[in-house]
Amino acid sequence: MSPSNASYTLRYFDAIGLAESSRILLTAAGVEWTEEHPEWPQEKPNQPHGRMPVLVEKSTDGSPDFVICESSNVERYIARTYGFLPADLKQAALQEQLRDLISDVISLFFTQIQCKGEEDKAEFQTKFDGLLETLINVQTKLLKDNGNTGRLFGDKLSYADIITYGLYINLLVGFVKFNADIADNVKSKLTPEIVKLISTVETDPLVEKHKSRGGSLVAAISA
Amino acid sequence: MLSGSDTVYVLRYFDVIGRAEGCRLLLTAANASWTEEHPEWPAEKANQPFERLPVLVERSNGNEWILCESLTIERYLARVFGFMPTDLKQAALQEQMADQQADLLSAFFGQLTATGDMKSKQIDEFNTLFDRMVKEHGRILSRSSSKQHLFGDQLSYADISLYAFYKLFIVYLKCYQSDIAEIVKSKLTPEIINLILSIEKEPQLAPHFSKCDTMAAIFTAKDF
Repeated sequence: MSPSNASYTLRYFDAIGLAESSRILLTAAGVEWTEEHPEWPQEKPNQPHGRMPVLVEKSTDGSPDFVICESSNVERYIARTYGFLPADLKQAALQEQLRDLISDVISLFFTQIQCKGEEDKAEFQTKFDGLLETLINVQTKLLKDNGNTGRLFGDKLSYADIITYGLYINLLVGFVKFNADIADNVKSKLTPEIVKLISTVETDPLVEKHKSRGGSLVAAISA
Repeated sequence: MLSGSDTVYVLRYFDVIGRAEGCRLLLTAANASWTEEHPEWPAEKANQPFERLPVLVERSNGNEWILCESLTIERYLARVFGFMPTDLKQAALQEQMADQQADLLSAFFGQLTATGDMKSKQIDEFNTLFDRMVKEHGRILSRSSSKQHLFGDQLSYADISLYAFYKLFIVYLKCYQSDIAEIVKSKLTPEIINLILSIEKEPQLAPHFSKCDTMAAIFTAKDF
């Protein structure tokens, strides 16, 4: 575990996007962190994979800063370091598989909006809808099996809860600029259990200090 | 090793290289007791937790545990069998390589299916990402003490993941795009080719090559 005087810089665009879950994790971890919005694309060559988000863990002993990238990798690193992912390998893996499914849902969203022909657009919309339905079913079953407490696993805020919130703040708020229909499409499919998870994460004392560019997701759902 | 000697694994996937090769290589390198199942598809779709493959089934002491999603399965197996560093920073440096490779696979399918003026844009994006990734592999390799491994001097998750990735592009994806193997080969440096061929010579991976060809015959003198 990193020492409690660790501090971080998160590099991303000034947008919700693929950095939101990391922002919430850093806030929930209670560590010192700031955000940078590098000039883009000028700063592309200066990032490890030419993309963002990037997490810099500032060195305290004169050695080079520790730099990692890839959104889900950044999330897992923060989550493992600060105890939001369990140490037990099986328990952690059961949470991680949800994030991989989420990655594919997001990927299908962006593929669909880039399609030009009506046929292609419809084909990928069907794929997106299908995978989202699978994801919602999986999430809802987990929430029900965990006593419908608004938590996917156990009785504390977890990595799985946060990355699930991170998905929905994009589908219901952040991605609207790319596709005006997405919010209503997804809102109509939310189950009461997922709505409760969203509220439970947003009102968790550890998450209180998180100020989302998108405002309250709970408010967006009730609107 | 964190699994008992009576633990057996079943990997469910299609009978292709696809997205399961990393899992196969890890189970082989671990010398785990494992078999592969090729479920009737789509008949068996509804019987999988995420209605997708691959799925890993772990059976131990009469209990059955199931895991989905190829990258999560890989990271889990890598940790169980000691191929992933226990240090979180070192693990993250290996995991991000696999995430980058997954992006490349998405970019491949993106440029494959794009039409009209999106096609050349997606092809450019794919090439840019691939070239950048090869440069990154080269950078890591240049800092490695052993040119036969990406990190340290033993077979690691990163090595296995890299091998599976290049095998996917050089051996498998031609079924989608006939020229992709040559395109990818032309991007590789002699150092990366040497790394690929060194990994497949690892004794722990020998059983894998009783079931399929090595890539040694694919790289001729003019590739180096």
